[in-house]
Amino acid sequence: MAEMQIKPITMNFGPQHPAAHGVLRLVLEMDGEVIERADPHIGLLHRGTEKLIEHKTYLQALPYFDRLDYVSPMNQEHAWALAVERAVGIEVPRRAQYIRVMYCEIGRILNHLLNLTTFAIDVGAMTPLLWGFEEREELMGFYERASGARLHAAYFRPGGVHQDLPDGLLDEIADWVERFPAFVVDLETLLTNNRIFKQRTVDIGVITEEAALDLGMTGPCLRGSGVAWDLRKSQPYDAYAEMDFDVPVGKTGDCYARYLVRVEEMRQSLRIIKQCIDNMPDGPVLAENNKITPPKRGEMKQSMEALIHHFKLYTEGFHVPEGDSYTAVEAPKGEFGVYLVADGSNKPYRCKIRAPGFYFMAAVDYLSRGHMLADSVAIIGSLDIVFGEIDR
Amino acid sequence: MGVIDPRQAAPIGPGPEQDAILKAVGDEITNRGFVIASADKLFNWARSGSLWPMTFGLACCAVEMMHSAASRYDMDRYGMLFRPSPRQSDVMIVAGTLTNKMAPALRRVYDQMPEPRWVLSMGSCANGGGYYHYSYAVVRGCDRIVPVDVYVPGCPPTAEALIYGLLQLQKKIRRTATIARG
Amino acid sequence: MTDAANTEADNAAGVDAPLQAMQEHLRQLVGGSLIESRVVQGQIVLEVAVAAIQQTLVALRDDQHAAFNQLSDLTAVDYPERPERFEMIYQLLSMKNNMRLRVCAAVGEGQAVPSMTAVYSAANWAEREVWDMFGIFFAGHPDLRRLLTDYGFEGHPLRKDFPLTGHVEVRYDDTQRRVVNEPVSLVQEFRDFDFLSPWEGMQAQIPGDEKAGKDG
Repeated sequence: MAEMQIKPITMNFGPQHPAAHGVLRLVLEMDGEVIERADPHIGLLHRGTEKLIEHKTYLQALPYFDRLDYVSPMNQEHAWALAVERAVGIEVPRRAQYIRVMYCEIGRILNHLLNLTTFAIDVGAMTPLLWGFEEREELMGFYERASGARLHAAYFRPGGVHQDLPDGLLDEIADWVERFPAFVVDLETLLTNNRIFKQRTVDIGVITEEAALDLGMTGPCLRGSGVAWDLRKSQPYDAYAEMDFDVPVGKTGDCYARYLVRVEEMRQSLRIIKQCIDNMPDGPVLAENNKITPPKRGEMKQSMEALIHHFKLYTEGFHVPEGDSYTAVEAPKGEFGVYLVADGSNKPYRCKIRAPGFYFMAAVDYLSRGHMLADSVAIIGSLDIVFGEIDR
Repeated sequence: MGVIDPRQAAPIGPGPEQDAILKAVGDEITNRGFVIASADKLFNWARSGSLWPMTFGLACCAVEMMHSAASRYDMDRYGMLFRPSPRQSDVMIVAGTLTNKMAPALRRVYDQMPEPRWVLSMGSCANGGGYYHYSYAVVRGCDRIVPVDVYVPGCPPTAEALIYGLLQLQKKIRRTATIARG
Repeated sequence: MTDAANTEADNAAGVDAPLQAMQEHLRQLVGGSLIESRVVQGQIVLEVAVAAIQQTLVALRDDQHAAFNQLSDLTAVDYPERPERFEMIYQLLSMKNNMRLRVCAAVGEGQAVPSMTAVYSAANWAEREVWDMFGIFFAGHPDLRRLLTDYGFEGHPLRKDFPLTGHVEVRYDDTQRRVVNEPVSLVQEFRDFDFLSPWEGMQAQIPGDEKAGKDG
């Protein structure tokens, strides 16, 4: 029989698929079971955040950042708060810096818990999710205690944080920090040496150091490929310069390395949280500059000036001097940047959000070429993709 | 769903009274091989007791939806199991911002669900656009695309709020007359 | 974007030495195509002609000393009042020097920008996004399609003349049995207040001023 030419099959994956981590539509060109080309269609959650921010005041724009990467909301707020602080030039009190760093690390653990456990479910392990979500509930409880919301906190404000921590919260967090390492050990017993998990992840989706840099990868995905680059270390912001922690780096650059980096990052985050609790300074949590930050409730009952400031801040907002700046933080997924152009008015002229996941998604084609169809699920899971920030 | 006293239309909690009723039903089945019940109520009991929602996580609310299914809130208690396929599910939880680009896909998935089907709109964005109401890319309420039975407010609603919404949906199903009378 | 005063203040305050050394190095590296270089909030900003953008980025990437090995971000800003309406922004990162750099280039409407996909692969999707959001065409891009907006979307949302609520909204039509696009009709308009307060914004005439000036 003559040789037959088989036409490659185009396969549509998503937009409604449980392993798509949201609303990803992946058009795959398949040669049998092997992926020849992957064409991700994104934008199915494009909400026009950047356009909306141009129409809101600086303070009104802040909650949009919660809703970008909704798995670790406060880390995004941090980028915005730092960008605005840099533009208006105000100092953040030390206590606020420590609270922010602590909550950023809680956010990092929240993110990694969700990512690692859903990654495990994608490759066939159900139990980590059930265990991990119990820990997430505890962490969301800490969010709720501080800000009043389980998810979308709007807690970091330009100039500090919205309110001081309630009594006893630090002790509770300290208590949780003692308990959490046991969970990480449990998680590792389930996955790290699990034969099925390793078969699904080792040598899958390998990305070299050069390719990772070229494709704009950051965060654990870059560190998994062996690049020791962490903005918390190299360009420390807030109180990160005073923290003692290590940056885990992977060797192989495959899905398994990215998993290992995240597990170790959770341990390092715990160290940072512990240091924040031990060294938490006293003092105000919001810069005392009533042109930018609101006055205290008690003051408003006494002082006419404070009342005027409050009214002006929550209607007109504050004006930011003309200029542009790029501010980046190390979000759990990678470098989360805000390019802010101010024109001197009370609204941003342009705000470009640099989402780490956007570049991971662009790299899916590179990563999944030549792999089997089932591996694409492992690759997407290991990249830590959240559509809120990719589509914006 | 439990045992409901028809005279007071109130559920009878666990205890000797409930046991007596359950025993009477059990005896009747062993003695005669069948029981007589109103078909309406039987259908409603079956439907509301095993609501299978479909995982339709769009945005932030999906995280809370996952939490409601995970260990602490454990939706399985109510017979609610998440199904990955529309063909196997009764309820669609629209969890998150529905964008213009996603709207046709949402409708297609809804059309694939078998009757009877219900839709629960979760969160401000799905209810009416919410924080993104004025955006050029967002559908101002998922009820423009699919008929909605229950709206759960919040941004995002907590896992508890979602479960409350689902329990409200169960109540709604129990109220409906499933057999049309001529 | 930043005014000259800011730049001078930065220079006068004595920006740290490595930054100034790097600025000097970059000035020589980029050479003739450089229009302006300044330091804004601890970051070097280079302004170059759009035609020279490719050679500039290649030089910045390949130079041993500068080694800007990652393109962090690529975007554009719309200034409708300028003769050359758009400004392309390239955010570069040098891990070797732990330094960020911003390269800007002014682009007119309808003018094509050389694609940077051959220089940094990360530019691929970023340029597709800029094409989608601003309608700036990238010459030599392998696959310039819309990225984020709806299939069949018209217009470029991040241009300043594009309305916030857009032109179309979707609805399921029961008779046609499909999701249809319709012109936007809002129940309540977006409330965009003019926040210029009567204390600070009183440069203009108050209604009635024109009468007071008249004789008689």
